[in-house]
Amino acid sequence: MSTVIDGSASVTINSGVILGITSGTAVPSTSGTSIDFTSIPSWVKRITVMFNGVSTSGTSNWLLQLGSGSVTTTGYLSVSARLTNAVAVATTSYTTGLGIFNDSAAAVVGGICTFTLLGSNAWTATAVLSRTDSVSIYTSGMTIALGGTLDRVRITTVGGTDTFDAGSINILYEG
Amino acid sequence: MTHRIVVNVETGVVTQVEYTAEEQAVHDAALAAQALAEAQVLAEAQAAAAVVVAPTEPVA
Repeated sequence: MSTVIDGSASVTINSGVILGITSGTAVPSTSGTSIDFTSIPSWVKRITVMFNGVSTSGTSNWLLQLGSGSVTTTGYLSVSARLTNAVAVATTSYTTGLGIFNDSAAAVVGGICTFTLLGSNAWTATAVLSRTDSVSIYTSGMTIALGGTLDRVRITTVGGTDTFDAGSINILYEG
Repeated sequence: MTHRIVVNVETGVVTQVEYTAEEQAVHDAALAAQALAEAQVLAEAQAAAAVVVAPTEPVA
């Protein structure tokens, strides 16, 4: 016997978890020093942050930060790398977020970062993005132990003063 | 004023949140420090380029 569920884009079970993947709201990343996705449900176990043609005004590396009630700015263990043909691999470590390389204000970047819940508010992440205006790959990894249940993701820069000036960003989340 | 973008994923509401006066002051100070550092790097580079190497006598 099969069960057919029809007429809805999602199914919610008793615990409040929405089965399947839920999309946030895509926003233009064309202004501001940070973009926050807030009110992420407590049952979420995986978050995918998607970058489409994103650029910032300077060369400050990018940061993705998680939070519980407020944005957590310390305690991350993250390293990012830039892979470019015939150029030595460049790496940078971070404690203030999941770092993503950014070596040019002209860089236009697309790709994804995926955060996964290890357990007990410990999150891990990986990121793979590419410059669409040249031939470089940016990749990163990260772990963080949050003080509580995750409810937000912030996308910003290390320096915090560069502004977004192109593209769009959205998230997917799932339980 | 500088701002950040906030997206509430439950409601789908997108809000532009302006910096407070304190946040703006921190932001402006960071920009000023960054400009100063860049100016110092440029000045050092120009000074290094301006170093004149004394000519030496040709070896007979």
